[in-house]
Amino acid sequence: MTARALPPAAPAPAAPVSAATSAVVGPPFPRPASWVRPLLSYVRLEVRRTLRDGGYAVMGVVMPVAMYLLFTNLGVGGDADFRGDYAQYSMIGMAAYGALGAALAVGSGVAEDRGRGWLRQLRVTPLHPVQVVAGRALTAGVTVLPAITAVLTAGGLVNGVRLELWQWLAAGLLLWLGTLPFTLLGLGNGYALTGQATGVVSAACMMGLSVIGGLWIPAAAFPHWLREISRWTPTARFGDLGWSVLEHHGPGLGTVSVLAGWLLVFAGYAVLAYRRGARTV
Amino acid sequence: MSHVIHVPGTPRAVRTPGVIATPQVPDLPAARPAPPAVRFSAVHRRFGAVHAIDGVDLEISRGATVALLGRNGAGKSTAIALLLGLDRPDAGEVRLFGGAPQDAVRGGLVGAMLQGGTPIPRVTVREWVGFVAATYPRPMSVAEALALAGIGELAGRRVDRLSGGQAQRLRFALAVAGNPALIVLDEPTAALDVEARRGFWRSMRGYAARGNTVLFSTHYLEEADENADRILVLDRGRTVADGSGEEIRRAVGGTLVSFDLDGRGSAGLRTLPGVTALEVRDDRAVLRSGDPDATVLALAAAGRIRRLAVTPASLEEAFLNLTAHPDADADQSPSPAVTR
Repeated sequence: MTARALPPAAPAPAAPVSAATSAVVGPPFPRPASWVRPLLSYVRLEVRRTLRDGGYAVMGVVMPVAMYLLFTNLGVGGDADFRGDYAQYSMIGMAAYGALGAALAVGSGVAEDRGRGWLRQLRVTPLHPVQVVAGRALTAGVTVLPAITAVLTAGGLVNGVRLELWQWLAAGLLLWLGTLPFTLLGLGNGYALTGQATGVVSAACMMGLSVIGGLWIPAAAFPHWLREISRWTPTARFGDLGWSVLEHHGPGLGTVSVLAGWLLVFAGYAVLAYRRGARTV
Repeated sequence: MSHVIHVPGTPRAVRTPGVIATPQVPDLPAARPAPPAVRFSAVHRRFGAVHAIDGVDLEISRGATVALLGRNGAGKSTAIALLLGLDRPDAGEVRLFGGAPQDAVRGGLVGAMLQGGTPIPRVTVREWVGFVAATYPRPMSVAEALALAGIGELAGRRVDRLSGGQAQRLRFALAVAGNPALIVLDEPTAALDVEARRGFWRSMRGYAARGNTVLFSTHYLEEADENADRILVLDRGRTVADGSGEEIRRAVGGTLVSFDLDGRGSAGLRTLPGVTALEVRDDRAVLRSGDPDATVLALAAAGRIRRLAVTPASLEEAFLNLTAHPDADADQSPSPAVTR
């Protein structure tokens, strides 16, 4: 026998007035002792699930590193200086590309879980919907890290990229923070679409945004009109967070404001998609 | 009046289907009893033209084990979705422990086993149950939850590699892991074999025996009869009967009195004392009677006794009697027992 005080029994000694009021608004059910602990417990569960996914390891870590090493070592002409610059530029681009993939992958996870009835099951636990969404976003905050560190490590160890310590740290940190808009885009896709559609849309977003944003090939090589479009993409500005550090300064106002704008757009999309998706959960 | 209102506080033996009004203790704040685990007040839920829940009033007291019995499409899943706060009624009110369903869920008072979920990939049984437990304020230990569900030996197994029966037990472990006061099980034994079913009900009774409230839905009569101390029969969104299996059997099914007509026809049999229905098979009359003694005496007085047999109706028949009725009188009481 487990001893348990049911909530309505607890307020019994209270004044009759409060008892009458509680009958109208509902009894004071026990509040969770902590808001953060269940949230972290959810993040731990989802991070484990992601790290055990073979597809994640390939798409989120192996691919960006392999592409980085291929792009910077095969068929690259020019002198040593140019090759060094390109190794640096591409290191940031591919780290950003890997992080983008890991961030968008969160959406596929959400769509799958919806199909499995897991989101519905979560709704009958004490977890608040805000905790569920925040948990997923924080999960992405963890699962984008391997992509970023793996590509930066490959740059330093294999391609001989030399940066000052603060540059390494600042580039890593800014790229990490800069994934937030893409995490929200991924969440929006996950709540708005079915599992299969989410995979397709996320892959399209990832390829399209990576190419146009200049993560694979520098935007400087684009025709003028494409360069103009590229400037306004979230991915170009995302990459710029790291590229600006290579030039020994922080990201400019333009980059920060364009990213902030996209952050708002994707946040709005995620909220709308969640509201719509939650009904069909 | 087509649905039965369970009067709170009425002793079990007296509460038979059809009892509607008994004097109620005035609801004085000073003597306010703890609110029931579940209360539906005139709840309606429509989906387009379909009245999935059509004015349900019900109350489930704390500690009860109640079966929600009905055919497919009777409104069981809708009732459960409303109860868990996954859906909202168009009219009426649902309360759990006196509060809104969502608040009770957030407060950790409710655990649920929903229909149709499949295990999520890449977690172990221990991790999954441990996570769900950690979202509740006063959970039981993972080992205890697994033992209760009878899957203690599967703790290290990946949940996507369980058999159907094991997965079902796991979902039961998820429902009880938070040590909630109320568990709601939506068709928990669907797709289980006989052996797995027996084990499952053992687990359920173990949890109920701790003083918890259990509500489960099923379309298996015997399951409801064997595992619940109260059965709510739901049909077309209404409660058409409410009581123990025995009470429903007695009140709705009655007793079958059959005898040979011997060519004398069935005129007048329908109006004999106690008779609620008449059926003639070949040359034999089958009377459904609420008072078999009176019926038999009347038959004897009329000199009609030929190869007489008196048999109790099965719960199956009671159920069919309750839920099979012509569309024409959908608004009428679906069975004599309910109006009586």
